[in-house]
Amino acid sequence: MAGNSLMPRLVVRALSVRSQRIVMVLFALIVGAAVTCALVAVYFDVSVKMSRELKTYGANFYVGPGQGATLPDEAYQTVFDGIPADMLEGGSPYLYGTARSELEKIVVAGVRFSSLRKLVPYWRTEGAWIGVDFDDRNALIGKTLAGRLGLKLNDTLVLIKNNEKRPFNIKGIIDSGDNSDHMLFVQFEFAQNWLEKPGLMSHALFNLINRHDGVDRLAETLSADHPDWSVRPIRRISAGEGGVLLKIEGLMGLISLVILSLSLVCVNASLAALITERRGEFALQKALGASNRAVVCQVLAETLIIALLASMVGVVIGYVLAQILGQSIFSAAVDLRAPVIPVTVALTVSVALIAAVLPLRRIAKIEPAVTLRGE
Amino acid sequence: MTMPGYAIETRRLTKQFGRVLALNEVDLAIKTGEFAALMGASGSGKTTLMNILSCLDSPSSGDILLEGTAVGELDEEGRRLFRSRRIGLVFQQFHLIPYLNALENVMLAQYYHSVVDEPSARKALDDVGLSHRFDHLPGQLSGGEQQRVCIARALVNRPGLIFADEPTGNLDEQNEERVLDILRALHRDGRTIVMVTHNPALGAAAERIIRLNHGRIES
Repeated sequence: MAGNSLMPRLVVRALSVRSQRIVMVLFALIVGAAVTCALVAVYFDVSVKMSRELKTYGANFYVGPGQGATLPDEAYQTVFDGIPADMLEGGSPYLYGTARSELEKIVVAGVRFSSLRKLVPYWRTEGAWIGVDFDDRNALIGKTLAGRLGLKLNDTLVLIKNNEKRPFNIKGIIDSGDNSDHMLFVQFEFAQNWLEKPGLMSHALFNLINRHDGVDRLAETLSADHPDWSVRPIRRISAGEGGVLLKIEGLMGLISLVILSLSLVCVNASLAALITERRGEFALQKALGASNRAVVCQVLAETLIIALLASMVGVVIGYVLAQILGQSIFSAAVDLRAPVIPVTVALTVSVALIAAVLPLRRIAKIEPAVTLRGE
Repeated sequence: MTMPGYAIETRRLTKQFGRVLALNEVDLAIKTGEFAALMGASGSGKTTLMNILSCLDSPSSGDILLEGTAVGELDEEGRRLFRSRRIGLVFQQFHLIPYLNALENVMLAQYYHSVVDEPSARKALDDVGLSHRFDHLPGQLSGGEQQRVCIARALVNRPGLIFADEPTGNLDEQNEERVLDILRALHRDGRTIVMVTHNPALGAAAERIIRLNHGRIES
């Protein structure tokens, strides 16, 4: 039936004849949608990107003995089990002690090799890392110690205890820039046995993703549950990480708000002008029997079409903009995560509808008798 | 109740704009099927009376009965519904939607009346001699053709009351005569027509002339 197609015809034709005004509204909404899309895309991606960036700083959470030099290694497992899976990047118990080599006494550190790289990603390693926790034949050695003992890659270092000897193949020589350069890193359980400290550890380090002060809350919980432990975030990194994220998110939110507000003002002005131009048209429709609601719905439908079109174009431009931001800030692509498109469309449509509220109220005030006579 | 045989009846109809008394206790009765011309000088109140009779405005006081309905007592919504169902409006300036073609402009009145019926809209245009202009936009039509589209739009819902405000005011002589012929045909068809005009020649074409002066009916 033709009746069903008259309203769509009215809406579509009305959009096509006032192209200049429509382009103004469309342009304002596209700019808003594009900037919003880009910033929302970065917003949803920034936590992951920032965490990934800051994870290069390594461990950001410490659990150690409250008093004395060691605590039971069960504490490591307790903490490990209590950390949400999506928060944990890696962790390892550490046990330090001195042992005799064939040449001199050295400091030995027992670690879980599989997580070591996530805890000390800044180590520069000659040779290779040790990838598995059960490897008790290979060891990593600090470059200072290696130099002092004259050891090179794949040489053998022998530890001696009483009449027992234990050879280790030097798989990697590390340059940490800290005390680790003076140590030999071996499998954790071997260290417990060799150093005669079964079931003990010196401390544990974890690398955690810090979202919304999660690390602080975890420290508070663990401290309350285990007052005999010393539990603390490694402040310099974790607090800074959370703070930077919050500041970046806040800045992006503020920029989005400003751009959307400007879009809103521009759309509002254009729609107000558009409705003034079309007063005669609306007056005629009302004279023919159209209700205020029918005319308002018609203009709302027009606005909605413009907003959806602007959203689509804005998402495409915004995606490109997000990539530019991602490359310049993180040197990485920004993923268009699931909420980005619905959030962009919702914000753009909301801005358009809010901008239309005041102009639409004018429609109700149009008096056909006055307007149609041109008074 | 309207008196039997009367389509339009007003009693002590008054309209005041601030301190200006536009209509002063107007008593008027127009028979069903009558073709009446409202005439008077500028400021006489003819347009105000026309707006109230066509339910585009409401009186300050007094009664107004249209085909038995006391429209003066209706609220804006009630007047809107009455207007869409029972009244056909013809404007001096045509007031066609510029981006809808002739057929769609006629169907617009159907749309706000009830449902769109394209064959009826085509017939209405055919009745005013525009069967060859269905797809033309208003900008592609002459003034006379635009006014005939406007008349077709007023007629398409078969209203009993037709109000024409200076229907030939923007037309040349040839088109004026053509529009008058259409109005005469509608009159013969039994429609009640009220036409506002300041043109004595046009007024003479009506069955009856109602003269207004300073908001009162002179004759």
